[in-house]
Amino acid sequence: LVVLLRLDQALGAAAEVLVAIVPPEVPRAKLIFAEPLANPDDLQRAIGLLCKTLTEDLEHRGVGARRLDLVFMRVDNIAQAVRIGTSRPNRNAVHLAKLLGERLVLVDPGFGIEAATLTASWIEALTERQLIGNHVAKAGEEADVSDLVDRLRVKLGSDRVFRMTPVESEFPERAIKRVSAMANSNGATWPNDLPRPSRLLTPPELVNAIAEIPDVPPRFFVWRKTRHSVVKADGPERILGEWWRSDEEIGLQRDYYRVENVQGERFWLFRDAPAAEGGRWWLHGIGEA
Amino acid sequence: MSYTELQVTTHFSFLRGASSCEELFVQAANLNIPALGITDRNSLAGIVRAHEAAKVTGIRLIVGCRLDLEDFPSVLVYPTDRASYSRLCRLLTLGKTRAGKGKCSLSIADVEQWCEGLVGILVTDKPTEHLSEDLARFQRAFGNWAYCGLSRRFRPDDAAHTKKIAQAASRARVPTVVTGDILYHVPERRILQDVVTCIRLKTSIDKVGFLKEKHADKYLKPPHEMQRLFRRYPDAVRRTQEIADRCRFSLDELTYTYPTEVMQDGMTAQERLEKLTWEGVAHRYPDSLPDNVAMQLRHELNLIERVQYGPYFLTVDSIVRFARSKGILCQGRGSAANSAVCFVLGITSIDPVRQGLLFERFVSEERREAPDIDVDFEHERREEVIQWIYETYGRTRSALTCTVTRYRARGAVQEVGKALGVPTDVTRALARLIWGWSDDGVSDKELAELNLNDQDRRLRLTLALAKELMGTPRHLSQHPGGFVLTLDRLDELVPIEPAAMDNRQVIEWDKDDIDALKFMKVDVLGLGMLGCMNRAFDLLRKHKDTDLDLATIPSEDPVTYAMIRKADTVGVFQIESRAQMAMLPRLAPSRFYDLVIEVAIVRPGPIQGDMVHPYLRRREGKEAVVFPKPELEKVLGKTLGVPLFQEQAMQVAMVAAGFSASEADQLRRAMATFKFTGGVNKFRDKLIKGMIENGYDNSPNAPSNSWKASAPMDFRKATPPALR
Repeated sequence: LVVLLRLDQALGAAAEVLVAIVPPEVPRAKLIFAEPLANPDDLQRAIGLLCKTLTEDLEHRGVGARRLDLVFMRVDNIAQAVRIGTSRPNRNAVHLAKLLGERLVLVDPGFGIEAATLTASWIEALTERQLIGNHVAKAGEEADVSDLVDRLRVKLGSDRVFRMTPVESEFPERAIKRVSAMANSNGATWPNDLPRPSRLLTPPELVNAIAEIPDVPPRFFVWRKTRHSVVKADGPERILGEWWRSDEEIGLQRDYYRVENVQGERFWLFRDAPAAEGGRWWLHGIGEA
Repeated sequence: MSYTELQVTTHFSFLRGASSCEELFVQAANLNIPALGITDRNSLAGIVRAHEAAKVTGIRLIVGCRLDLEDFPSVLVYPTDRASYSRLCRLLTLGKTRAGKGKCSLSIADVEQWCEGLVGILVTDKPTEHLSEDLARFQRAFGNWAYCGLSRRFRPDDAAHTKKIAQAASRARVPTVVTGDILYHVPERRILQDVVTCIRLKTSIDKVGFLKEKHADKYLKPPHEMQRLFRRYPDAVRRTQEIADRCRFSLDELTYTYPTEVMQDGMTAQERLEKLTWEGVAHRYPDSLPDNVAMQLRHELNLIERVQYGPYFLTVDSIVRFARSKGILCQGRGSAANSAVCFVLGITSIDPVRQGLLFERFVSEERREAPDIDVDFEHERREEVIQWIYETYGRTRSALTCTVTRYRARGAVQEVGKALGVPTDVTRALARLIWGWSDDGVSDKELAELNLNDQDRRLRLTLALAKELMGTPRHLSQHPGGFVLTLDRLDELVPIEPAAMDNRQVIEWDKDDIDALKFMKVDVLGLGMLGCMNRAFDLLRKHKDTDLDLATIPSEDPVTYAMIRKADTVGVFQIESRAQMAMLPRLAPSRFYDLVIEVAIVRPGPIQGDMVHPYLRRREGKEAVVFPKPELEKVLGKTLGVPLFQEQAMQVAMVAAGFSASEADQLRRAMATFKFTGGVNKFRDKLIKGMIENGYDNSPNAPSNSWKASAPMDFRKATPPALR
């Protein structure tokens, strides 16, 4: 029967009503001012009001905002927009207003602003959470730094706030990477039997070193015009290129040596190819390893 | 001062080693290493391959094994004589029985019990807290034959670790010895080693991180380099030679004894076989025995006596008799059909004299290799036969051979792709492409057809590495029915592991290994069609009152051939595939021999060599039937002058190039395996030379190429008796 109906509809014998799919309403708050505003304090107050209205709506829906777009309409019909992001879903009106307020300096009110719209263009589910007073917070629970991160990101720029995380690679310059400040840990650790110096030189510095070939630690080396005589040494720690990254890496071989000079200072040197292939010496790290 | 490498892992430590025994031994020969100690993990699976490689390269093999223990650092053990080798096999069998298929669970207590006569090397990466206790216990177990291994890891604190281990060893009065911990034969192989590690850990190269094999230099190094690396421990280098001298055990010492059949009337096996043979003659030839058959029988019995295979024939005979007595249909196949003795004993149903088959194909005096009688049994009832064998010969003396499952092109691409993080849909598309891809790799054009970027580095790497991985063993699985039977305990010859199926046990060696050591095996195979025929006979008896068995089915039934000519053969054994059905109307078989040819030519072999078309052209009368020389007419007459069977290749080699029967058989074997070994070329020159000498046309490529192509074809002439 359904088939017959469909056939009729296809041939135009029966009418078919089209039902549009309505997009879920984007949370939005709007204020129209009786008189154009230009004073930052007034604008800040307007933001507070908008945030309050919006967060009530968000709470009603059980969501929090990850991104807010604030659009000011000037009297000369030019829009001024401000966008902020949060690292976790948030519907704290005071916090959001503060973040938006930080960006207010970017807004040029011109002859005055007559309307403002605040849109939560990216929302995520946020369920109610029991508030815990500071004095009963469970020990070991991670402090929620997301508010701080949000404020820093607004002030410094979103790519300036990051966290370092270990990467499982033998190459020291690859052994760390930047991740977003609130990213979860990827579980990677550095093994205990792979000691690394406390300071790395980025990039490594070319040094002159004298060493017996093929793989004896250097006798001495000259770094920044200072000659260091090696009295103790360990090595080589041989690190081979990570061939899956690029063709150049296939033949790559670094021999790392931990050396100590007469004064007891520790250095981390490597030769970037076997001596027979004309490997050069580089200083890559300083300090205890 | 010389250096012997004592710790070598081959690719039989599945997905750990990255090089084959052959590659390792060839490299050892290049580097002037006098001997290699092969130590796979809890396994002797690769030891026969290593033995063969050692014979070819002239580098001595030191039989060994790495025991990964549950409560102790790993120990390398090397048997010094036959008795200690047997103990090692028993120990491994014990561990495998305990742990189940593909695993091995051993503790130091087990090793202490079985280590008599074994040289042991304790290997440890780092000086652990309990190293001294471990060394003391190890020293008590192995006594004078305990050593402590020193290896370079090229890791931080290498020198300090080595020194600490050496000091702990000297306190425990355990001498140190240098080992290289070799995982691959040349430095370039490290890439494949990383890949197999990823496959083993089921992860991808981007995620594997520090789980990857940590130490860099695990390839074979020349002795002087090892001496330089361990210049502070010259004694430890010298002791490698000492161990090599102590471990003189060779696999050649394994004397295989075939179980003597239960004797009657004090007859020897040979006498009994002769008696049974002549009794069988009365059954096969009730009227009179043709002279040439009698001659053939005497010739075969003589040869069997000289090479002492009598008991083997008796075993197969008794298995077949058992099956017949239980009403289980069975049928010998393969090269056994070349034997008149097998025919009169009822093991096979083809008269080899009438078919002009060569006995040397089956047993050859020069080759001295164990014969191979394959017997098909009804699929459903084969288990009865297998369990009867276990009961009759005992579980300690009988086991199935294994088959080494190796990476084929498809699997290799899929697994390497996964390890390199290539998306699954891409690897799947590549694998599909490989259908029919031989060894040549995927061409750029084919990649372009899949809309893949042929410049993509990961894709290129995947294909290159997959090619390298092809042929690498992946795991052992059980052979469908190859039984090894011995007089003494089998687990003293080779470690046995339980199979995935209940009540089955499998040895660690496959049939090539068994051949190489000249063990004898009986193939007990299952064939569904035989069970099907048995049921058909029952139905005939029940509904049509017709009593038939395999021997009394009327042959050359014209109605049946008419059906076959119409290609109405769905469900007909051997000729039901689409390719076969397409060929049937062209060949229009009207005799049994036509079917034999049909089955033989619709196979990959002759199609590669462009051999089918000449035959078809000749058959359809489009091409004249000519023979290069009249004497070849006898050989090639049946197939209209086109060599289709390996048997014919052998005979041509004998008639045209003056090969002896055994040489011709070696040629056949080389053809059967040329894909892997390329051994045909050795015979090719001899063949061409012989043919030219005998006045043949000097167009060498034509015959040899066509025979190369026929190599993948096994000899089908003897196979389809089930059709009769």
